Amino acid sequence: MLVTMGGVRLSYGRWPALDNVDMEIRRGEFLVISGPSGAGKTTLLRLVWMGEKPDSGLVEVIGFRSDRIRKRELPRLRRKIGIVFQDFRLLHARTVFDNVALPLQVSGTGSRVVQKRVISLLARMGLSHRRNSFPYELSGGEQQRVAIARAMVGHPVILLADEPTGNLDPEVSREVIELLLEINRGGTTVVMATHDPRQVPAGKGRFLFLDKGVLRGADRWSELDQDS
Amino acid sequence: MSLIQSATREITLNLHSRPGARLITLLMVALAFVVFNTFLIISWNLQSIMDREENLVGMEVFLRRDISPGAGRVIGDLISSLQGVKSVYYVSPEEAEALFRAELPGRTDLLDVMGNDFRLPASLQITFDTEAMNQGRMSELSRAIGAIEGVEEAVYGENYLPGLIKTVTTIRRLVILLGIVLVSSISLVVFYTVRLSVVRRSLTVDIMRIVGAPWWFIRIPFVVEGIFMGVTGSAGGLILAAIVSKVLSSAVTHRFMPLHWMTLVILLGAVTGTIGALAGSYEKER
Repeated sequence: MLVTMGGVRLSYGRWPALDNVDMEIRRGEFLVISGPSGAGKTTLLRLVWMGEKPDSGLVEVIGFRSDRIRKRELPRLRRKIGIVFQDFRLLHARTVFDNVALPLQVSGTGSRVVQKRVISLLARMGLSHRRNSFPYELSGGEQQRVAIARAMVGHPVILLADEPTGNLDPEVSREVIELLLEINRGGTTVVMATHDPRQVPAGKGRFLFLDKGVLRGADRWSELDQDS
Repeated sequence: MSLIQSATREITLNLHSRPGARLITLLMVALAFVVFNTFLIISWNLQSIMDREENLVGMEVFLRRDISPGAGRVIGDLISSLQGVKSVYYVSPEEAEALFRAELPGRTDLLDVMGNDFRLPASLQITFDTEAMNQGRMSELSRAIGAIEGVEEAVYGENYLPGLIKTVTTIRRLVILLGIVLVSSISLVVFYTVRLSVVRRSLTVDIMRIVGAPWWFIRIPFVVEGIFMGVTGSAGGLILAAIVSKVLSSAVTHRFMPLHWMTLVILLGAVTGTIGALAGSYEKER
């Protein structure tokens, strides 16, 4: 198991964001966590990259335990996790190349390796011609592909995608989902949070439904559809 | 690229980003320092005036005519050991006559009338520490000195001295108090200005955290920026204050502050800028 959560509770003030969550994320799977806005999807992902710690219960991610991890160990964990957000979170004063190279630069990777890996990844993402552009010069779909490239450049064990299609039109959304599935086929575990699980083709992943902080499982999106 | 090289690159990129916002921050810091520097210039000039006035806080002790210069100096040593005495200077009869002739050139005939054998008495000029002095202590010292064997008379400005001591002491305390208030205010202004400038770039801090940058890597560009803004802002404040001082120099006679005060002003800018930047980056890193 890459990620294990047991009896996890987390509240923001008086409002419970997650309530007694038990779950596992298996190596190599494509996990879709769906639910309405405010259901706790983002909080769940934040627990995985340890942007939050649970009020009670335990989160274990790639051998790092939430009750034992020290602040100085967090960068080591986060370098093994790629994260993609709905709002892309790109640095607008830096070029596409520099944005994608950032995770390697902060880990002290040599410049030749950085150059080689970033150029190769941009080619795979169909962004070679955009390497010297700035994010504000790109379309929404291109920006999200840059964000995915940044998340993947460090060869993460898990890719977390928080509403990756939330700001994109349906056609571009399909392209992004296909890209995530391709990444998963390459062996990377992908966890995607979305309010619309129907974006992921049936049979392509495991589906979990989150409602008001309570997690429910579903084997296929059709069951999930009925539940919701 | 090593981590150090990457960090250096981040520092450079950070210093080159948002030039407009940085300029506004620098202007705010510089203007805050202009106010502070104006206070320092006023204090520095007031200090000189008070030092001059303080030297008037003294006593003249006339020695008996039969006291030898050696014995006179021994009496001087005895007086200088008394609490509150800052300095004691022995004035020989010859020096007293020279001083009289220099200070009262129109009245030298008085000395001539007294004849060649007449000598002014030797005396001791005493200055006091104004902080430790008050009217009661002054009278007490006058009586104690007057009672020393060989002392003819101890004279001091009984009428004006207590008021002068009180005024100088009060002004000094007010300047120190105002200085503390201003240093605190200026530190807060610089701290919050720099902090705000860092907090505005919360996205950068967020992304750095997400991609696994170590804490020092995230903070160091902001610390350098804080030092840069603090030093440049305070130096800018000094330059602006120097220009104002130059413009006003023909209307008001004054001196600009000394070099060691200017160094302290820049140091204050650097320290508060650094703390502000650290606080801003820490706030976003949590």
